[in-house]
Amino acid sequence: MGRHAGSPVHHTVEGTDPGLNVQTHEPESPAPLPPVLLIHGFASSVALNWEQSGWIPALLDAGRRVIAVDLPGHGLSAAPEDVDSYSPSRIRADLLQIAFDEGARPLDPARPESGLDVIGYSLGSRLAWEFGATQPALVRRLVLGGPSSRDPLAEFDLAAAQRFLADGTPIDDESTANLVAMALASPNSDMYALLSLVEAIKEEPFDAAEAVPQQPILIVAGEKDERAAGLEALHSLVPSAQLMLIPGRNHVNAVTARAFKQAAIEFLS
Amino acid sequence: MPETMTAPEPVMDTQPKAQELSLQGALNLALDEILAEDPKALVLGEDVGTLGGVFRVTSGLAAKHGAERVFDTPLAESGILGMSIGLAMAGFHPIPEVQFDGFAYPAVNQIVCQLGRMNYRSRGTLPMPVTLRVPSFGGIRAPEHHGESLEALFAHVPGLKVVSPSDPQQGYSLLKAAARMPDPVIFMEPKSRYWQKGLVTSTESPADVSGARIARPGKHLTLVAWGAMVSRCIQVAELAAEDGIDIEVLDLRWLKPIDAEALATSVGKTRRAVVVHEAPRTSGLGAEVAQIIIERCFGTLKAPVERVTGFDVPYPSGDLEDEYIPNIDRILFGIQRVLEYKRG
Amino acid sequence: MAEIPFPLPDLGEGLIEATVLEWLVGEGDQVERNQPLVEVETTKSALELPSPQSGKVLKLHGAPGDVIKVGEPLIVFEVPDDTAGIVGTVPSEEAPKRRVRLSANLDDD
Repeated sequence: MGRHAGSPVHHTVEGTDPGLNVQTHEPESPAPLPPVLLIHGFASSVALNWEQSGWIPALLDAGRRVIAVDLPGHGLSAAPEDVDSYSPSRIRADLLQIAFDEGARPLDPARPESGLDVIGYSLGSRLAWEFGATQPALVRRLVLGGPSSRDPLAEFDLAAAQRFLADGTPIDDESTANLVAMALASPNSDMYALLSLVEAIKEEPFDAAEAVPQQPILIVAGEKDERAAGLEALHSLVPSAQLMLIPGRNHVNAVTARAFKQAAIEFLS
Repeated sequence: MPETMTAPEPVMDTQPKAQELSLQGALNLALDEILAEDPKALVLGEDVGTLGGVFRVTSGLAAKHGAERVFDTPLAESGILGMSIGLAMAGFHPIPEVQFDGFAYPAVNQIVCQLGRMNYRSRGTLPMPVTLRVPSFGGIRAPEHHGESLEALFAHVPGLKVVSPSDPQQGYSLLKAAARMPDPVIFMEPKSRYWQKGLVTSTESPADVSGARIARPGKHLTLVAWGAMVSRCIQVAELAAEDGIDIEVLDLRWLKPIDAEALATSVGKTRRAVVVHEAPRTSGLGAEVAQIIIERCFGTLKAPVERVTGFDVPYPSGDLEDEYIPNIDRILFGIQRVLEYKRG
Repeated sequence: MAEIPFPLPDLGEGLIEATVLEWLVGEGDQVERNQPLVEVETTKSALELPSPQSGKVLKLHGAPGDVIKVGEPLIVFEVPDDTAGIVGTVPSEEAPKRRVRLSANLDDD
């Protein structure tokens, strides 16, 4: 079982505690490699994206120390009312602080356990991309699952979603309707917190070209992933990145794929 | 002794045969023979019929002896005991099973208020020939309610007998003896020993099943144990022999009534005693054993009787089991404390 | 030997069925407790089901793409008769280990 928030070392960013649920998992036989930070997707959680999908046991079996964080408004994390708590830049700052508090240290060629590997899925891939690009001294390698160069959340029709939630008015935009359906289906997610997240993302939409990570990157997506649009655009920004498509899988069910886990573990070893 | 044991009627087998069986297999054989020999015998409990019991002790019995003699009950221990008491009043010899020690609690009212005292209440006209099988004690990393030691609770109830076998031979012989008794017997099976194999001889004599038995003779100190702790104490005795200490292991077997004579004989010889049990220490059966030893051997004891026991906490989760159940080192420490005791 | 069927467990959230994505074990395989058995997808997420016990895989129900209802058989294990259905773990017999040594002066015994 993971150790939950409330570890002895705990710092806040800019004096406010976002109340994020942090779990660390220690392997039985640690490999001389950095810890792995897991960042889940929109309307998902550590439990759904990483635990039930079998990622955490697979990483532990590979000797990896795991740091997993529920994003604000997701899983067991708090759902603050202010929109600023959900801004991608604030989330990245919190993740950086959490990684340090949980023992990640800047890359040091003499110490193989130094640095941090990051695996993100969907929205988590966007955060991982930016995290890697802005933290070259810490992040060693990146695995981006189901990423998108466009930002489906930035194009989200917030007003339509709010109308739908208020009185059931159908949502015209298909992508928005799908995201709302996904959020409503997701257990433990606070719908209003998710809309705050969307609002914050609209303020800071993903611009992949703005900051391009320099680390080795593995990009993985289901062959039928309708959300991982523009994979090629991402790939063109980092031509050295390895690209892997999983046959027959879509955005939802590529997460559990054994081939994905094996490729990620191999890439990060 | 506070009460005398009813002498079982031996069934002498003309051709004693020894076979290697697990404790599960030995208990299964005993039940099979009881059902064959005694038309009034019945086996009942949760999953004892079709499934053959979670530990397979009743495996195959329903198919062989019929679903009306070996049958599944609803998941209600109070009902299992209530039914058994009624069947006993109607002349049957029920052998109910409570699936795990911790699930005997819901049946305590029936056991204490009816089973134990019906014979007294009816002035001997309604004896309770009921043998209640309870897979007992810890050691299998199971969840809560699956590792408890209830011997002190049952031994405290007037009218009940309590017995615990330590190996396949004891399991076979004691179960057959218990089933023939006119009194209610709580039969505590050490579940961590179910898979232990040993030679089982199917001949019986009253001496084979009465009172305690010496599981390993020795001269310097007596380890008193029952159930799963007997084999651990034998291991400890073998290790102690490497240090030149010759330990006698007394398998108490009957926990009510306790064989005070056997305790007096053994400790009278060794002059030192350590009692080992899994149950919590306070008001555990070890206190009773220690008091009997003091009453009988006070003048010759070289040191106070030592207890090595579980702790006064609810039975812990599997990960902590090895720390809770008396382990080899804790027993050796107990022995060392007795060996080095100096009168002040 | 005994056969132990393992039905698709209740996945919570009112889910009544799941689609098999990929089997991670095959018939005849020996599996350990908690070893991943199968990937399934519900209307809410994809998940990997760990094995509830160790044993030999006798039969798999459902090919990739098949829908299995909660409570319907998913997999059948074969286990030795004497370990079937047990709550907990069969204790392993290990050689006794000790750290404590005894010392005594038994001269006056």
